[in-house]
Amino acid sequence: MQDALTTLLLSALANRTFRYWSLLPAVLLFVALTLYPLVNLVRMSVSTIEFAQGVEIWRFTPRANFAQLLADDALRPALVNTLVFVVVSVTIEMLIGLALAIAVAGLARGKTWARTAMILPILVPPVAIGSMWKLMYNYDFGIFNQALVALGAAPVNWLGSTSLALASVIVVDIWHWVPFVFLILFAAVEGLPVDLIEAARVDGATRWQIVWRIMIPLLRPAIVVAFLFRTILAFKVFDEVFLLTSGGPGTATELINLHLYKVFFEQNQLGYGALLSLAVIAAIVAFLLVAQRVTVAVRAS
Amino acid sequence: MDLMTMMRASAAALMLAGLATTPAAAQKPFADVGKQAPITILVASTPWYPAFEKVVGLYEQQTGNQIKLDTTPFGGMLEKARNAVRSGKSPYDLMFLDTQWTIEFYEGGFLAPLKEIDASFDLPKEVLSYGDSGWWNAQKRWRTPDGGKLMAYTVLGNVQLLYYRADILKQAGIAPPKTWADVLTACTKLTDPPKMYGFVARGEKGNGIRYDWHSVMLAEGGSVVKDPAAGDYTVTINSPQVKAALDLYTDLLKKCGPPNYGTLGQGDVIQLLSTGKAAMGDVVTAAFASFEDPAKSAVVGKLETVALPAGRGGASGAVVGNWNAVVPKDVPDSQKKAALAFTRWFLSYDAQRAFAQAGGIPNRSDVYTSDLAKESKLRWMPAYLETQKFARQELGYAEGAQVEQILGLRLNQAVIGEMSSGKALNTAAKEIQDLFVKNGRKTGALPPLPE
Amino acid sequence: MKRRRVAVREAAVAAPPAVRGGPAGRVLVALALFAIIGPFLWILTASFKYQIAIYSGQFPFTPTLSNYADVLFGRRSDFAGNIANSVVVAVASTLAVLIVGTLAAYSLRRFRWPAWVSAGFLGWTLLFHMVPVLTLIGPWYIAFRQLDLYDTRIALVLTHVTINLPMTVWLMSAFFREIPPEIEEAARVDGCTPLEAFLRVVLPLAIPGLIAAGILAFIFSWNEFPIALSLTSRQTATVPVAIARFAQQYETQHAQMAAASVISTIPAVLLMFLGQRFIVRGLTLGAVK
Repeated sequence: MQDALTTLLLSALANRTFRYWSLLPAVLLFVALTLYPLVNLVRMSVSTIEFAQGVEIWRFTPRANFAQLLADDALRPALVNTLVFVVVSVTIEMLIGLALAIAVAGLARGKTWARTAMILPILVPPVAIGSMWKLMYNYDFGIFNQALVALGAAPVNWLGSTSLALASVIVVDIWHWVPFVFLILFAAVEGLPVDLIEAARVDGATRWQIVWRIMIPLLRPAIVVAFLFRTILAFKVFDEVFLLTSGGPGTATELINLHLYKVFFEQNQLGYGALLSLAVIAAIVAFLLVAQRVTVAVRAS
Repeated sequence: MDLMTMMRASAAALMLAGLATTPAAAQKPFADVGKQAPITILVASTPWYPAFEKVVGLYEQQTGNQIKLDTTPFGGMLEKARNAVRSGKSPYDLMFLDTQWTIEFYEGGFLAPLKEIDASFDLPKEVLSYGDSGWWNAQKRWRTPDGGKLMAYTVLGNVQLLYYRADILKQAGIAPPKTWADVLTACTKLTDPPKMYGFVARGEKGNGIRYDWHSVMLAEGGSVVKDPAAGDYTVTINSPQVKAALDLYTDLLKKCGPPNYGTLGQGDVIQLLSTGKAAMGDVVTAAFASFEDPAKSAVVGKLETVALPAGRGGASGAVVGNWNAVVPKDVPDSQKKAALAFTRWFLSYDAQRAFAQAGGIPNRSDVYTSDLAKESKLRWMPAYLETQKFARQELGYAEGAQVEQILGLRLNQAVIGEMSSGKALNTAAKEIQDLFVKNGRKTGALPPLPE
Repeated sequence: MKRRRVAVREAAVAAPPAVRGGPAGRVLVALALFAIIGPFLWILTASFKYQIAIYSGQFPFTPTLSNYADVLFGRRSDFAGNIANSVVVAVASTLAVLIVGTLAAYSLRRFRWPAWVSAGFLGWTLLFHMVPVLTLIGPWYIAFRQLDLYDTRIALVLTHVTINLPMTVWLMSAFFREIPPEIEEAARVDGCTPLEAFLRVVLPLAIPGLIAAGILAFIFSWNEFPIALSLTSRQTATVPVAIARFAQQYETQHAQMAAASVISTIPAVLLMFLGQRFIVRGLTLGAVK
């Protein structure tokens, strides 16, 4: 078995074509499975789709769809809430995740246990997270209010007050997703070149200096990836909000993906819904570009 | 009790004895349906599902016909039903649709009218009408047997009832409320936060608040549109009666409910009643069983039910939420016939009786007037039958989902105080009217309310 | 030989810290553990309570195993089958996406591809990642139905690989960037072929990245809900679909949902441990220092 594998590895053909067959499977698979849905999405965004006699009927209506996008009253609060949600939760998650990654990597003992414990939140199915946190936030019987009352304070209307609802949802999101950032950054910290850090320590640098001047700059690629994917996932958040508040009270926790779900799915407006999802993608891209500019500016100062 | 009823009752009793001991021998089937092809049913995971599963088991035992049940989370039902019919090759032979989804499937032409599968099929006259949600008149685009085709029958019909703590009301010397104004008087007397809330109902944005508030609105003589059956979609939501209903509902929630009344969903209402923290509540019939389960409730045996109260004019209102069984049209004929055969069996008196005893909500009036109504765990039956007299279907048009979302938001905003009730109704009216105009309906508006 | 292998394996998994953390770090970790495990413990206790005890937030409470019994052995429960489905789908899709994604990431980094290929592929994967999954379900359902792959685990594996590919490629790309090209060049000078250099030199150095990417791909596949819901029926349903059945029309069966959630974390954690060992052992077997 070992010999067969070695022969295969050393075979000239495999090596000559390595460049191609290493990339091809990913490209083929991806194109096969994503081309049709994406093309379909674009086509839907400029059409109105109805059903009659069991058949789909498409009408080309780009103007009407765009007009609806501009006239959509629910869109503005959704966008604003989503932006606040993304900025606050991603920032906090990145900071906590980074700090934890470095802290856990610096543990002398129990690293594997800490690492396993840290990822428990993302192991729980999203539907269970939403239901359980809703119970914990419950006004009359939730554990937070029970603790507050036991300490002599007044119970708080976590999910029912328009000012607190979004913050409560953000807390759940942070609990849920810090492990994601942690996992990526922890792996990156473990992969840092030991000799460089050793040299700095021998030179007399303090722990803080090592972290700031050496570790974090070296972690940049991982930080970028964690930030990129965490942001995109934050824009797509659905389960937590749906189960905790359904977008209420009022429009306090109406997030863009929730609105999309209502339009595309509940109201069955496939065409406009497709356009809305393209608009969301555009918003994400715009946000990422702005974030990039901001980081460049911050680093320049 | 006459001979026929006695025989039926003993047959059913034997049947249920048979249920307990799982007999292998063939029993006399409740309805003679013959040998049929195996079918697959799309059914949601609901509190009444175990009862349905038992009844299906009975069917399989009695007739030897196979039925596969695809139990789906409720949140995924619409998705699966849509995918099934849109793909052109439905994997399901019978699908259960919640009433608000039926219009989409009727208009989309995805279904086979039941009489076209078998011209001799008819709904037994004892089956409750549930607002005729199973009939579809394509011309009028309205659910009515008048000129309409039979597309579905009700598997399970839910209405909300007024649940109240008999012990608490008795102690305070209050009679079960007959009007919504009575409810307000009673609940303000009983409410004692945080130990006890006088009255709980849904305030949650969306379907939650819309559904619960709707019965109050109907009771006060309000309506959403003028006469959709005749094609007149004039928006009447911003009328003084509706405003009175909204103000009354807000009072009920605010004065007698918990501080987070604006976010209460059905689960929260049930939680408050089950833990004994609420004296009265507006809850679905289907929740009765969980209130009687000691693992789920601290108030076993203490809750009673009456039909939803009446409004100032003396009329009551209630909205029907029912599961409609439909047959997709692109399914082989033998399976369509098999689905209909199961339907015939399911709609028989004995099957419905078995369904009721297993924990379901039967759809035949003769089961409600039988001796079953005297059983303690089925003591909600009289209130339910009473409610059927005035319960109706609402939002039965293609724009229903959108109208519900508009109302669901504006009502919630009014109730939590984000805008005045007048402004909320005016805004909702304008948005609904725009929607109807866009869809080419004949519509109009009322003069705006003072804000 | 064996001792060196063991040494390399340990070094890759639990290296002594480059910088020993101070008390501030330990306090932070303790706080974080408390905050993270707290709610999870809450779910654990809920799984042993009766529904009414959960509703009224009772503590202390009378414990019961009925929820677990109901989830595992109840009449309408196929939970064991659902776990089996989830295991098959998650393991298969994780292996597949790791192999396909890592190769692609390496290829894009090391070989000179024209800009339109590398930027195009990376950009497209990122863009696809931004598309809400809701809009993908319709086309995929129809496609798989036409191919007669509806209600199969293969369909789930393929879609999960597609969904997780962007993150895997980008993540491994970032980790490969950290490995200086000199190491590979040294190996090549020593007589390794490109393929050997990749497998024997680069990959072992990327083990932390592989573990992170693998864990994430596994977890996303294990917990994936919308696609699993639409493409499966009762016999191929995965764990999230089964758990969602407890979120019923009017109320949620919190007790059973908690029990099901707890049960579902066990195979997940087990598989992650095993997967980690498997990656480390497999890759350090032929590692050359």
